[in-house]
Amino acid sequence: MASFGWKRKVGERVSKSTLQRFEAEAETAGDSPPAEDGVDWTHAVKRRREVLLEDCEAKSERLKGEGALLAEQGRHWEAIKKWDEAIQLTPENHLLYEMKSQVLSILQEVFPAVKAAEMAVKLKPMWWEGWQTLGRAQLSLGEVDLAVRSFQVAVHLSPSDPTLREQDLAWARTLQRQRRAAREKTRQEDEAQRLVLDAPELRRDYDDFESDEVLEACAAVAERQRRLEELRRTTVVLDADGNVRTVVAGAGAGGASASQAPLVKARGL
Amino acid sequence: MSTQYSILFKQEHAHDDAIWTAAWGRSEADGSETIVTGSLDDMVKVWKWSDEKLELQWNLEGHQLGVVSVDISHDGAIAASSSLDAHIRLWDLDSGKQIKSMDAGPVDAWSVAFSPDSKHIATGSHHGKVNIFGVESGKKEYSLDTRGKFILSIAYSPDGKYLASGAIDGIINIFDIATGKLLHTLEGHAMPIRSLTFSPDSQLLVTASDDGYIKIYDVQHANLAATLSGHASWVLSVAFSPDHAHFVSSSSDKSVKVWDTNSRVCVNTFFDHQDQVWSVKYNNTGSKIISAGDDRAIHIYDCPM
Repeated sequence: MASFGWKRKVGERVSKSTLQRFEAEAETAGDSPPAEDGVDWTHAVKRRREVLLEDCEAKSERLKGEGALLAEQGRHWEAIKKWDEAIQLTPENHLLYEMKSQVLSILQEVFPAVKAAEMAVKLKPMWWEGWQTLGRAQLSLGEVDLAVRSFQVAVHLSPSDPTLREQDLAWARTLQRQRRAAREKTRQEDEAQRLVLDAPELRRDYDDFESDEVLEACAAVAERQRRLEELRRTTVVLDADGNVRTVVAGAGAGGASASQAPLVKARGL
Repeated sequence: MSTQYSILFKQEHAHDDAIWTAAWGRSEADGSETIVTGSLDDMVKVWKWSDEKLELQWNLEGHQLGVVSVDISHDGAIAASSSLDAHIRLWDLDSGKQIKSMDAGPVDAWSVAFSPDSKHIATGSHHGKVNIFGVESGKKEYSLDTRGKFILSIAYSPDGKYLASGAIDGIINIFDIATGKLLHTLEGHAMPIRSLTFSPDSQLLVTASDDGYIKIYDVQHANLAATLSGHASWVLSVAFSPDHAHFVSSSSDKSVKVWDTNSRVCVNTFFDHQDQVWSVKYNNTGSKIISAGDDRAIHIYDCPM
């Protein structure tokens, strides 16, 4: 029987007299099966799990370090490969997912970056750096509202971190405001368009086409047309302070627009 | 009146996101019991506790970011709330209307606490100053300087003599309110102090920290009376029972623990939340405990009297 160092150690813990008695008994038992398959069951020791775990941990730590070095040198994909290997060994290590997320973000692999960061915060929900990385990944994916939420969680966990408050959260909120303003404008435009195409004045039957009512209806429709054009000419922009402003694009004072001229003509009739 | 600790009521999905803070108040006018909660969903909600269940009374909109802290004035008429963007708002609990909005400066509000006479609100600030706002004036009236770091937690002693603050670096400061002097600086914990509470007789101060420990101090002599361990992770909130015999703590290990003040042992552990428990409070008699956390649920527990 091969005898390894750690096996001997296990044997030494059993008191000698007990061991001898046990062996004697095993021999007298007679019909012991070891001879059949050549395995000495009386001396076999269960492989200890923690020995294996320790090895995984150490190897994962080494791979993590190697990955970090590669990432520093700009060899991002190789770094991710190392960390993926490490994740296989220690799937509960939040740091690996978080670092992977950062590098994936650099590589513009935005969706996998969000996934990796989500894993990191799931494993370690009280770790604010994980939430910061998740927020940044969500921001690159265009999920501004989710990013604002992630940054808020991070600030709540670590309120005194200036970068988090003044850069991450502030910037994400600026984007959020801008997006809301843009969305509101689109909504207004759609509404104006709908009113132009489906004007309530046109639904009525007019008996007398000469009446003031018809003129009024025409004026109302034209007014809506003008408003739509005005909306289309403006854009939502962000000024230097991060404030959202609506400005008129192109030459604003450029005379009568397409809809204004025919209106004048109609009145001339 | 129950003879053992038990969970009495659960309000699931009380908010659309994590609940970070809760307060329990009692109206002096009609004796009704009010619970106020604040959440990451930017909302402050007001609930009525009657017939052993919660009823939503008001949705208070106005905060632009997550609500970090809420408190109810001692007459039960006004609630104060503060959000991540350092805005403090005062609400009339009868009408559900906002009374005042105060901008404390970019990073200058975290926990809010009413003074025992409910005329002032104290809040910690980024530069280690405790700012005192007037409830009537809605303005900053004066400030107490700890010369320390970001102040996360604030508590007034019930007798109105002291104000204690807990900072992000684990330092505790105790002020004499009458003179505005810093009485004691205690190097209590090595990590942020998220919550602290005075005993009803104002003799003891209990602190909760990210280091997982709860500490009890003798306020007058600034002595450490005890260090309690039991939570497996950050201790996020502590509150004293009005009966002085117990206090309660909550943690990111998802548990709520009730401790005996004299023997300093944990007498009960509630494991009913699915996620971090950010806030615990007693009601005014000490017969009930409220807890709320990241699982968006509000729990009410019965306590033996």
